[in-house]
Amino acid sequence: MTLIKEGKGRQKAPLTPWKQKSTKVKKPLPGVASLNGRWGYPAIAPFFIIFLIFGVAPVVYSVYIAFFKWDPLGTSEFNGINNFIFLIQDSDFWLALRNTFSIWALSTFPQMMMAISLAAILRNKRLKGKSFWRTILLVPNITSVIAITIVFQQLFGRDYGLINGILGLIPGVDHIDFIEGIIPSHIQIATMITWRWVGYNTLIFLASMLAIPDELYESASVDGATKWQQFKYVTLPSLKNTITFVLIVGTIGGLQVFAEPQQLAPDGGSTKQFLTLTLFLYNQAFLNNKYGYAAAIGIAITFIVLIISAVNFVITRKISGEGSR
Amino acid sequence: MSKLTTKNALLGAIVALAISAGLLTAPAKAADQITLTIWTFGEVIQPGLQREYQKLHPEIKIVPIKNDVDPLHQKTILSCQTGGPADIIAFEVPYSGYWRTGNRPSCFQDLRKMTTSSANADAGVAAGLTANDIKKNYLPWRWEQGVAFNDNVIGIPTDVGGLQVAYRSDLFKKAGLPTDRAAVSKLWPTWDAFIATGQKYVSKLTPAEKKAGKGFIDDAGSIYAAVMNQGTVKYYQPDGTDAGKLVYKTNPQIKKAWDTTVKALNAGIGARLGQFTSDWNIGMNKCAMATILAPAWMLDYIKKQAPDTKGKWDIADLPVGGGNQGGTELGIPAYSKNKQAAYDFLTWYLAPEQQLKVFKTYGLFPSTSVLYDDAALLDYKDEFFSNAPVGQIYTKGVLKLKPIFEGELQRKIDSTFGAGLGRVASKKMTSEKSYALVLSDIDKLFKN
Repeated sequence: MTLIKEGKGRQKAPLTPWKQKSTKVKKPLPGVASLNGRWGYPAIAPFFIIFLIFGVAPVVYSVYIAFFKWDPLGTSEFNGINNFIFLIQDSDFWLALRNTFSIWALSTFPQMMMAISLAAILRNKRLKGKSFWRTILLVPNITSVIAITIVFQQLFGRDYGLINGILGLIPGVDHIDFIEGIIPSHIQIATMITWRWVGYNTLIFLASMLAIPDELYESASVDGATKWQQFKYVTLPSLKNTITFVLIVGTIGGLQVFAEPQQLAPDGGSTKQFLTLTLFLYNQAFLNNKYGYAAAIGIAITFIVLIISAVNFVITRKISGEGSR
Repeated sequence: MSKLTTKNALLGAIVALAISAGLLTAPAKAADQITLTIWTFGEVIQPGLQREYQKLHPEIKIVPIKNDVDPLHQKTILSCQTGGPADIIAFEVPYSGYWRTGNRPSCFQDLRKMTTSSANADAGVAAGLTANDIKKNYLPWRWEQGVAFNDNVIGIPTDVGGLQVAYRSDLFKKAGLPTDRAAVSKLWPTWDAFIATGQKYVSKLTPAEKKAGKGFIDDAGSIYAAVMNQGTVKYYQPDGTDAGKLVYKTNPQIKKAWDTTVKALNAGIGARLGQFTSDWNIGMNKCAMATILAPAWMLDYIKKQAPDTKGKWDIADLPVGGGNQGGTELGIPAYSKNKQAAYDFLTWYLAPEQQLKVFKTYGLFPSTSVLYDDAALLDYKDEFFSNAPVGQIYTKGVLKLKPIFEGELQRKIDSTFGAGLGRVASKKMTSEKSYALVLSDIDKLFKN
């Protein structure tokens, strides 16, 4: 952040004539002022009303039913904290926690490295067709998860899949079952997530790379730094905040992985090898009709997110503290 | 600029008028036309018969909406709490135990309280019939699966899933096995003999075929349900209560089904193709399997997925005999707004005459037992399956069936055992370890 602030004298490009017009500061229109005053609250009300109905109310309600044995069409009885006690004793919960973090790690770190490298390539001034590359990077992100899963499932197929076909060409290598194996199945899901999000993260990294003033690179090259040294000592430190941001967003996304494993097998695999936390919650509610227990799982997930956020917060503060030294 | 806006405004007004006019006239039209929404799956509602009914009743529009079996179950539960658009809902027999117990029967209309109108009097359904009046047309134990424990009739049976072995006579010939259906049936009086035949078949496969994953049976795991359903008790034993007594841990039939399946898995006779997966569909065309344990309703599926294998299939008896799998109920949700029209459709659609047509065109075996000595059913042969007397074979099988008590969580327990066998098939766990895990997983189902 400090570096961006230092880049005050970045107006190296001459201002174009039609941009000069806008330098004059306009007075705010009276209409806008009144919108801030009298009409401000009604204007933002629709969001808050919808948020209350579809956001807050369900949360409150699920906290309530977390203390019940809650069958939608059967009897519902107060259950105290038994749901939570059962949750801690439930091996499936711990299994789901393990799977979720394993998939998260396998998708986040390779994805981050790929995104930074791609952004560094796209930053190159001599690259042709910049807009084209930047646009197609977003295509996986707007593709339906279901479609991605179906295609990747065929790529990773046990008998006829492309990846096993290529692996089969190497002598002595057996076909890998990307569903039944624990790590192979995690790799399959992590690959889908990476494919979907790497382009999006690349654009975020690219944006913050473009904000790094050119002078830093120029002075670095005057000092005799190689391209790699420039990347290491100029680009990476400037990206520190962006990396933290991507990591936090990735963690939140990682805890919500649902559609990919559900498409592979609704129950999370025969040994529950890719049962994730959200899939576990969904299955308890909508397959086993244990709404109270599922609500308890939801609360547990909330606490896990809080813990991770706290850890993130501490680490981020430490890093930024070091940076300002 | 101002000219343009007036033009736009005018255009907008016209469009708005047209839309509101359309909205206003639409309900007027619907008043004399009834739309029957049917939540269904697979081939339960046959398009041919649907068209026939609409020809009889131009005023009724039938809209079947298909889902998979399990999602449909969830949808039904939700709609029961909130109301919904469905007029008829299909549910599979393994879920019947769920709907029959507790206060859940109230989700469905009690069909004893409905009487047929005169709408279908010319089409063979007399007016004034309650569910109790048509009961006599159906297999008694099959009818009971639609009767709740508070005696409400919540569903009327469609088909009964008699199970037989569909086999590829051309592949049998190649492997030096008999091809005639009587001789083939004699190959496997027991499941052990079936597995032995499978091993003989697999031993004749070339190494290349073995590497391509070909096998004797499509999915050895399917043996589990077949063996289990040959008993009289599954996971629940009727004990006079609605819930029944849970006996999945002690029932020897379950252990036998498990052990037989594990034996088949270890013998390597399966092609490891999960039924209804895309690999299964492809495998059917690529000679990946020589046998399928086929309920009557699956025959049509085979025909559609592998039309080029016409005449190469035949049907033999199931080892031990008398297998059952599936079957569906059609009920009317309590919130339906068109109960009379729905009931009239149901009583027509599930009458013996129509069910015979369903069998002939789609292979779903009727549960209307009045047909079982009907020559039209018994003499029916299927060209696709080498002119096998499909009617006779499946009737013989169905008559051997014994009623089995379907408990509340039947389907969940079934899939837990299925996952357990999957672990053995993929060699992730030994049979003993996997079986123990199945039992503890089922215990969890009943907690919280």
